[in-house]
Amino acid sequence: MTARVSAKLAKPSKKPTKSSSAMELVTADGVPLLIERSDAVPLVHVQLTFSRGTVHDPVGKEGLSRLLSKMLRMGTKQLRASDVEDRVDSMGAQLSIGAGASYLGVSGVVVERNVEEFFQLIGELLTAPAFRPKDLAQQKRETLASLEQLCDDDRSLCGRHFRALAMGKHPYGRPIGGSSKSVRAVQLKDIEAQYRKLITAKDLVIGVAGPLSGERVAELCDKHFSRLPRRAPVVEHVAEPEAPKGLRIVVVDKPERTQTQVAIGTTGTHSRDRDHVPLIVANTAFGGLFSARLTQEVRVRRGLSYGASSSVGVDRARELWSMWTFPSATDAVGCIELQLKLLADYVAEGPSERELQRAKSYLIKSHAFEIDTADKRLDQRIDEIVHDLPKGYHDNFLDQVRAVDRASAHAAMAKRIRVDALAMVVVATAKDIVPALKALPGVSSVDVVPFDRI
Amino acid sequence: LSTARPSVNPLQTVPFGTGLTLHRTTLRNGLKLLMLPDATAPVLSFHLWYGVGSRHAKAGKTGISHLFEHLMFNETRKLPAGELDRLIEARGGSTNASTWVDWTHYHTDLPAGELDFIARIEAERMHHLVLNDAALTSEKDVVMNERRFRVDDDIEGTVGEKLYSLAFTRHPYRIPTIGHMRDIKGFTRKDCEQFYKTYYAPNNATMIIAGDLKPKQALACIEKHFGKLKPARIPAPRKVVEPAQRAERTAELRWPTPTAKIVLGYKSPAFPDEAYGVLTVLNEALFGGRGSRMWRRLVHKTGLCADVQASPSPFADVGLYEMSFSLRQGAKVREVLRVVDEELRDIQRTPMSEAELSKVKNRLELGFLLGLESAYGKAEQAGFFEVVAGDATGLFTRLETYRTVTAKELQSCARTLLNKSTRTRVTVLPKGGRP
Repeated sequence: MTARVSAKLAKPSKKPTKSSSAMELVTADGVPLLIERSDAVPLVHVQLTFSRGTVHDPVGKEGLSRLLSKMLRMGTKQLRASDVEDRVDSMGAQLSIGAGASYLGVSGVVVERNVEEFFQLIGELLTAPAFRPKDLAQQKRETLASLEQLCDDDRSLCGRHFRALAMGKHPYGRPIGGSSKSVRAVQLKDIEAQYRKLITAKDLVIGVAGPLSGERVAELCDKHFSRLPRRAPVVEHVAEPEAPKGLRIVVVDKPERTQTQVAIGTTGTHSRDRDHVPLIVANTAFGGLFSARLTQEVRVRRGLSYGASSSVGVDRARELWSMWTFPSATDAVGCIELQLKLLADYVAEGPSERELQRAKSYLIKSHAFEIDTADKRLDQRIDEIVHDLPKGYHDNFLDQVRAVDRASAHAAMAKRIRVDALAMVVVATAKDIVPALKALPGVSSVDVVPFDRI
Repeated sequence: LSTARPSVNPLQTVPFGTGLTLHRTTLRNGLKLLMLPDATAPVLSFHLWYGVGSRHAKAGKTGISHLFEHLMFNETRKLPAGELDRLIEARGGSTNASTWVDWTHYHTDLPAGELDFIARIEAERMHHLVLNDAALTSEKDVVMNERRFRVDDDIEGTVGEKLYSLAFTRHPYRIPTIGHMRDIKGFTRKDCEQFYKTYYAPNNATMIIAGDLKPKQALACIEKHFGKLKPARIPAPRKVVEPAQRAERTAELRWPTPTAKIVLGYKSPAFPDEAYGVLTVLNEALFGGRGSRMWRRLVHKTGLCADVQASPSPFADVGLYEMSFSLRQGAKVREVLRVVDEELRDIQRTPMSEAELSKVKNRLELGFLLGLESAYGKAEQAGFFEVVAGDATGLFTRLETYRTVTAKELQSCARTLLNKSTRTRVTVLPKGGRP
């Protein structure tokens, strides 16, 4: 199946303020419990999110938290990994355990009739993991295999190298899944130590969406999640990343490419910055919509790339602003030159009044789709806690969008998007493109890395 | 007194699952209309399916359905280029489209209350699209870039194209939906105008609207915008019978990749067939998640593969049951094939246990319910069943098949379908590597 466009826009929005089915309780253990009641379908969504993640992986052991999340699925002293999978499938459930920069999370969905058994299983996995050496060997093997597979996915390769280049030595620049070297270095004692570091009820928020009353949810949580460890959460300050000066380029060299993948960007905003929402609005007008300037100029007017978009990342510390295209190998340098010019012009002048109004209108009116199902509403509330967003971030978002004018949008772009401090990653056949990239104005470095060095 | 014949037939209602009602009618000009009122969220999901896909392409014109899908977002008589996207996005909506072998599907999500707007826009582009050379040139460039992205530089896309061109010798399912590069380059405005006149008409379209709507008012709105559009003479579908495959077909590709891959395609039942539902259950046992037979054996136990996936193609005619295996570095193709064949023989010889069958059915039921959570999901699923299987409520009949299928029926399905003689195999080897 082929589709017209694949770019998706990630943006925050507002939770419902009327006819709201939202509840906020606290378990007997003092864990925040967020509930979204909905009778739309007989499914219960569950999320247990611990608010520390891969930024706390030791240097040289990148991928440790991700491996821990996989090991939590490998069973308990009473349950083998295959028993866990059988139980999940038999219940009519899906279970996912994963880790990101700022969290380790268990999420799942189950048909309502089996909710008790599902909560029980999650509780057992989190409180009594087996951590068998053979399971770790298995998980390391699977992780190394998925790193090998990454070499076939040019877009993911681009993203991995772009993050590393743009964030440098900052923890956000390290690969969440690790490298082949760091994954091999992980030992069972590291897994156990990371479990003690991340899994604590004092760092946990629980969310449940579906056709259950608050009372019933609280009862289930008290019964099945009350034996979680209650160690003091780890306190490690994550500094704000900074973008070095110059246009730094990395070419990921892959043979026989007829098409390139291009990511260009720099550090963006922190959610607590005063110009955070103005930057989101300004970015929406620049590359966050199909009718936005970047997409119109790159794709619609010139047909240079199938996709062209830009986005603002949000996390606990300052995240990246980035723009993405994938032009043909012959058009790549022309497309990059155009993107850099569009960006420089936009940073210098800001959006037009028409562009601004269109972006604001989109952000305000599309909020209905951010909250049209119970689990999306739950996601927003958990997002606020996990990413340490200002209290009421989603509730107040639309009012803040309404308040953005041309001056504030322009100021946010001018202050945050420094065109003299950009990182660029191009997945391409290096010999075809490196000389032209070196000739771009303002280039401070061009490095070439082989595509299969992961 | 008006003596004009109303241009719409009365609304019929049928239950849609346990909590919803499907309202349906056909306008006099042949436009099929289905509505699923659901006020759980203040949103609308508006879908329009045209009965044209890559199977309808003529020789030398592969990819025209898909290129045309792109062109439908350009200029109309009343809307200058780019205005369609601007208007939808300014209302907080999002729109997209997709093309496959049997159909082209346009969909727009909007806040509730915007039905009149989107109906006006869709009627406008169904009948008054403006085609010009500049837009065609630019869109051809975009589609050629999309082809590089999805096929030429993508191993999965390249293998998929090879698999279907090898498995089908006559049926147009052998044609890639995106089209061959030389054909995309060669399209003229005249080709596109002719295609538009031939296939874009109310009697070749099915509309599904789900979400916060009132059926009678919605019907009046659709009648207002579409009722006067004239039907076209849609060419009768070509009935092509694919000759029976009597021996395994194979191909080998070399690619810049560190790991080998194997893709298998067995001839599979057409989507409307009940046997397709049975195969879906069988597939879930073999490939559905980490507890499935193939995952356990190839990824977990032997470590021969990094990933295994499979699905039967949901086509109106006989398609392919596709299986793909991503090998670990150093794993041998013949060893993986040996294990795959062993697993397939086992499911053919030994009936599945009740516990395994129950597990598989529960997984499918969950997937079914998840697909119905949003207005988009409801409209998309109902529309797909209506267009490909001829009945939107067939969705629930299919669920019933999942629930009632027996171990014996699954065994019989495996015996009938999983024969090497109807198999096509494409192997990908790392450049410079050995099998």
